Amino acid sequence: MSSNEQQEVKNLTRRKVLTAATGVVGAAGATFLAVPFVSSWQPSEKAKAAGAPVEADLSQLQPGQMLTISWRGKPVWIVKRTPRMLELLPSINADLRDPMSEASDQPAYCQNEYRSTREEILVVIGVCTHLGCAPLYRPAENSADMAEGWKGGFFCPCHGSTYDLAGRVFQGVPAPKNLEVPPYRYLSDSVIRVGEDPEEGVA
Amino acid sequence: MKRIFSILTLLIALPGVVLASGGSAIQLEKANNSLADQDSLQRGAVLFSNYCMACHSTKYMRYNRIARDIGWDNETAVSEMGKNVVKPVDNVMTRMMPGVGQQVLGKTPPDLSLMARLKGTDYIYSFLRGFELDEHTGEWDNKLLKGTSMPHVLENMQRHFEPEDYMQATRDIANYLEYVGEPAKLQRYDLGWKVLAFLLVLIILSYLLKKEYWRDVKH
Amino acid sequence: MQSQENKPQNSLLAWIDARYPLVSTWNLHVGQYYAPKNFNFWYFFGSLALLVLVNQILTGVWLTMSFKPSAAEAFNSVEYIMRDVEWGWLIRYLHSTGASAFFIVIYLHMMRGLLYGSYKNPRELIWLIGMLLFLVLMAEAFMGYLLPWGQMSFWGAQVIISLFGAIPVIGPDLAVWIRGDFVISDATLNRFFALHVIALPLVLIILVFMHIVALHQVGSNNPDGVEIKKYKNDQGLPIDGIPFHPYYSVKDLFGTSVFLFFFAMVVFYMPEGGGYFLEKPNFEPANPLKTPDHIAPVWYFTPFYAVLRAVPDKLLGVVAMGAAIAVLFTLPWLDRCKVKSIRYRGASYKVLLAMLVVSFVVLGWLGTQPATPELTKLARIFTATYFLFFIILPFTSVSERTKPVPERVS
Repeated sequence: MSSNEQQEVKNLTRRKVLTAATGVVGAAGATFLAVPFVSSWQPSEKAKAAGAPVEADLSQLQPGQMLTISWRGKPVWIVKRTPRMLELLPSINADLRDPMSEASDQPAYCQNEYRSTREEILVVIGVCTHLGCAPLYRPAENSADMAEGWKGGFFCPCHGSTYDLAGRVFQGVPAPKNLEVPPYRYLSDSVIRVGEDPEEGVA
Repeated sequence: MKRIFSILTLLIALPGVVLASGGSAIQLEKANNSLADQDSLQRGAVLFSNYCMACHSTKYMRYNRIARDIGWDNETAVSEMGKNVVKPVDNVMTRMMPGVGQQVLGKTPPDLSLMARLKGTDYIYSFLRGFELDEHTGEWDNKLLKGTSMPHVLENMQRHFEPEDYMQATRDIANYLEYVGEPAKLQRYDLGWKVLAFLLVLIILSYLLKKEYWRDVKH
Repeated sequence: MQSQENKPQNSLLAWIDARYPLVSTWNLHVGQYYAPKNFNFWYFFGSLALLVLVNQILTGVWLTMSFKPSAAEAFNSVEYIMRDVEWGWLIRYLHSTGASAFFIVIYLHMMRGLLYGSYKNPRELIWLIGMLLFLVLMAEAFMGYLLPWGQMSFWGAQVIISLFGAIPVIGPDLAVWIRGDFVISDATLNRFFALHVIALPLVLIILVFMHIVALHQVGSNNPDGVEIKKYKNDQGLPIDGIPFHPYYSVKDLFGTSVFLFFFAMVVFYMPEGGGYFLEKPNFEPANPLKTPDHIAPVWYFTPFYAVLRAVPDKLLGVVAMGAAIAVLFTLPWLDRCKVKSIRYRGASYKVLLAMLVVSFVVLGWLGTQPATPELTKLARIFTATYFLFFIILPFTSVSERTKPVPERVS
């Protein structure tokens, strides 16, 4: 009787070990199997090709003028700021939510006072950080349709968020962050490539 | 168990038997190419660009995918195959203007993305090597496809290369086109044995588990 | 008998069970479903068919995410899946190989029924539902094959739909109605897509459910063809039965791993299946103006296709092909022998069954070949022997010299 019981116990241990081992291996297999299904939702080569870096010629861009190009299906704004515009930027720091762009999205080389590599050229993605609307360009000081003391910037018509001419968001509006700056580099004095970091490789 | 194995063997052998009973009229030369040979793929890609892309495209392939798979960087693919006028993400298109093929050759040259899967690598190899000079007319024709609209673009190579080098060049092109037919083939071979090894472990474990449980069952 | 087991201890389970028959359903179909203990190799294919169905649904859903059901884009979108979508090639090969695996498994599953008389009283309805499943599966596979929009897709569909044109009076109009156009076109592709990805899979799932419910109502047959319900112990459980779980769940797990091993071998090293799983002409986009030199349906249709070609008359050919499938439905009533398993049946059944299997395999091979006069002659002979099985069976099976059937499973 007792030896019989021992036999039983031994079997059960073996059974438990084998069940656990098969379970673990099976679960590992199921996880591996999930990989193709999950990663097939990533952007395909076609989508990546459509999102490849785009180039723009800035030689015709006048001071104060804005150029819109499309990168990865989103509008990218390129603004050539006037000396006056640049001069005004530091003066409004107190009214901004994130003046030093510490909590905002931009490449490290654009985390500076002007949020750009060349002082006068601003490059930002024209998508409001609130809910993804496209803000309007209001470059003029004291623009008629803007609040008093407006020093030039962007205004989102959806929920009234405002940004300055470095794409920095003002306080007291729904948008949480400054406008995103895409990776970009200059191929020559007048040609810019958006979507690629200055050193090497596509971002 | 013995019966099971004999049935399985039969199942595996069946397609082979059926296949062997088929057969085409013209004997194809064996290409003896290898997708593992990256140098051959790189040479084939350059030859394809220099000799074939004047008329043919492989429109389902992108330069950056070719670069990644055959051991180039994007810049090399763009310069070696794309004459520096394409972007890495572009598809490999022909340099021929639309409609020119119809005018000059009487036929639009086909896209070659899937030619190796449609006809087989050996066919492409044999076709490239199948051009023969007709003594009477002084014109080239192809013994695999009589009256083909395709001119013998490798004529100079055939005249001036050593026979082995010419053979290698045609093999490289065939190799490259086999790769283009199914670029995932490289990954497929690489992943396959790992999956099979894993399943072998699962077979052993589940067999032991079954044995263990079935101890309870008295026969 | 099951009352003490049916009371769930766990409070969450109890809460659910008060509102949904979770535990009792599990017990009825898995935990306390008693299956004969003597299942052999042939009994793997039922669970494997279910596995392949799950594979087809899962990979199929993922394929629809990148496939474009239009004549202009279908072919390109398949190559897009093969090249540009991450892992798309694997998902596609799992689906295309799964289609062939489905039929291999189903043909072996049907063979099991023929070997052990699983279609006989009281299991006639299981066989009928199974045959319906087979029919719907053929439609499902046929429509799926059009979707890649290659040359074989197009011309295969052209030939099969033209069969409907053979029906007197309404035939030609019917063929046009099915196509939605005067040729196979964008409209045909679009409706086949709809049927392939939603309508027919839904029917398949419902029929599979009914197939299993019907099976569990009467209990499983076994290689000895004896009813285990005849001998029960004092708890009312069949002496020769064992609970499906854990005994057959672990056994099927083993069968599944072995199957997956062979399946992976094909997926990774021969996804074209020697030109039988993926046919070469299908790597060329559909061209309504040029028929490929040699067109043959995919291998799993070729036995019936060979029957069609063997008959030198359009309408009668279609009738013969239909009959070759339809006659299988009537098997439970054609076979009048009381003994189920081939182990105890007379020589006449063994000879007849061998003849049927050989005819089916040879017809399958003939269907892949070009129709030369010699091969057509051969196809006629084997078409005749195929039908001969069903014609002779009712007579021989009445007076078959059977061996004594044991009382219990051996």
